[in-house]
Amino acid sequence: MKIVGIVGSNADFSYNHQLLNFIAKQYKQLVEIEVLDIKDVPMFNQSDDQTDSAPIQHLNEKITEADGVIIATPEYNHSIPSALQSVIEWLSFKIHPLDGKPVMIVGASYDVQGSSRSQLHLRQILDAPGVNAVVMPGNEFLLGEVHKAFDEEGDLKDAETAKFLESCIKKFIRFINVVNVLNAPEGMKDLSSAEDLYATGSIDTTIQGIDMMADDWVEQAAEATGAVDGDTYVKLDRGILTVNQLNHFLNSMPAELTYADSNNQFLYYNHHLDAEEMFASRRPEQVGYPLAECHPKQAFSGVSWVIQQLRKGKQDVVKTHVPTHGPDKFVVHNYQAIRDEEGNYLGINEYVQDIKPIIDWYLEQTGQQLTGGDVDAVSGATSKVDTVSGATVKG
Amino acid sequence: MLNLIGIVGTNSDQSTNRQLLQFIQKHFADQANIEICEIKDLPAFNKPKENQAPEEVQALAAKITAADGVIISTPEYNHSIPAILKSVLEWLSYTSQPLVDKPLMITGASYGKLGSSRAQSHLRQILDAPELKARIMPSSEFLVGYSLQAFDEEGNLKDANKVSELEDIFNDFTQFIEITNHLVSKNPTKKAQKFSWEDN
Repeated sequence: MKIVGIVGSNADFSYNHQLLNFIAKQYKQLVEIEVLDIKDVPMFNQSDDQTDSAPIQHLNEKITEADGVIIATPEYNHSIPSALQSVIEWLSFKIHPLDGKPVMIVGASYDVQGSSRSQLHLRQILDAPGVNAVVMPGNEFLLGEVHKAFDEEGDLKDAETAKFLESCIKKFIRFINVVNVLNAPEGMKDLSSAEDLYATGSIDTTIQGIDMMADDWVEQAAEATGAVDGDTYVKLDRGILTVNQLNHFLNSMPAELTYADSNNQFLYYNHHLDAEEMFASRRPEQVGYPLAECHPKQAFSGVSWVIQQLRKGKQDVVKTHVPTHGPDKFVVHNYQAIRDEEGNYLGINEYVQDIKPIIDWYLEQTGQQLTGGDVDAVSGATSKVDTVSGATVKG
Repeated sequence: MLNLIGIVGTNSDQSTNRQLLQFIQKHFADQANIEICEIKDLPAFNKPKENQAPEEVQALAAKITAADGVIISTPEYNHSIPAILKSVLEWLSYTSQPLVDKPLMITGASYGKLGSSRAQSHLRQILDAPELKARIMPSSEFLVGYSLQAFDEEGNLKDANKVSELEDIFNDFTQFIEITNHLVSKNPTKKAQKFSWEDN
């Protein structure tokens, strides 16, 4: 899990910076935290769009890739600093990286208030439809008289305060998982038990008697079935290719392809990239695993939901976009049902693509443009047109 | 004749809050000289070590000090006031604090129907901070919703009810200035020596 910590002040020296450094250091066993400054971000001006400038894009990228954001704010004049306000205005104008993002607020101040009023303002600001962050309720961490709070190593002197902060950070990690469930399609119910994700059953094609978790499952299964390889010809509908030709053909597809059968066993992927280079990383030894071993537990409900959609014929393909690769990639995971001539469900063809090059090429060829920043998720008493008077411009 | 300052709370080239202040300036010309001040070219606040404001901010501060009262007209960005307006207030509170004890009235306009209501309540809370301590006129709120449609070609507010509401509030404000001056002349605020938000 990756979290970014944003320092809410542009001052040369900031106790809130110190607080975030302490959090990053103290709780690194729990979570990886990168602390980001906002010093270089220009003042927001809707008449002078600088969304594409390096400091704003840097924040956009880091926030998009992160699982959650911690903002540490001082208090200036009973509110948050203009520098932080300006950053949020940029991040709600043409781009919206905080949309749906779990956010935790902390704050430190020189006086006893500990940024109490500015934290409330920040909550209200983050709730605006153009921002639409998901702010963790409760767990308010206020650090008053901060000039007395840290020792020379930059550690919080008071053990009780550090303990409370740790409980807030732990809550936030759980909160991130809860928000992920909220953002999942129809994630209200836990559907993990709807599918046999451990592939305990078998189907006609299941290769029996081999440990699914074995690193050399493919080699063992090939031996057990007498599978052909190399220059041996295979007859297909419709054509004849050697196994080598078939491999090169599949590896040349402009997508990461994965086959999981109707028994929820991972049987194949077009292996021509290292795991680190893939959008959805796969390692050679994972082939043969049941799907439960390919996903973290908190994803089981979502995985089961997708398989049920395909197995029951409710959808032929389920698509999901995965923004964590950064704003310069539009990564889409497609889960396509594989069916036989009678329509029986055989498994999933998962293909993962970055569709941005395709979109860019098409726009360039046709001279069309994308209109961005359109927030439809306006809720409550705020009419859509009010979003315009917020820092959002409609496409 | 009163001398007032009207501050446009945004750095946007197109602003219905600017239009609103221009209308107020024109409509009440027989009661007050209103100078409209822009904040769009003011540098962003960055809490410099020496408590010295840039020249442009000093010029604005001098105008505020000389004026009998201040009107701030604010749009609403993300349920709050624009960062640029906040930055100006930070400069003023961090340096010469010209708003302390200054009679002040808030107006606002927004494209939607809410008319900057949330921004105005944030602005009140901010101006109440001890380093700003403006004397904000209480129990008054002037909101212009659907502001893109609110003005005619001469820049006048189209809605007669809205104009009469504004006249009432402006009349209150002229009296409020008098009362406030009476109040603070007897017991002026000592400007804060130390900022509560120092070094955070």
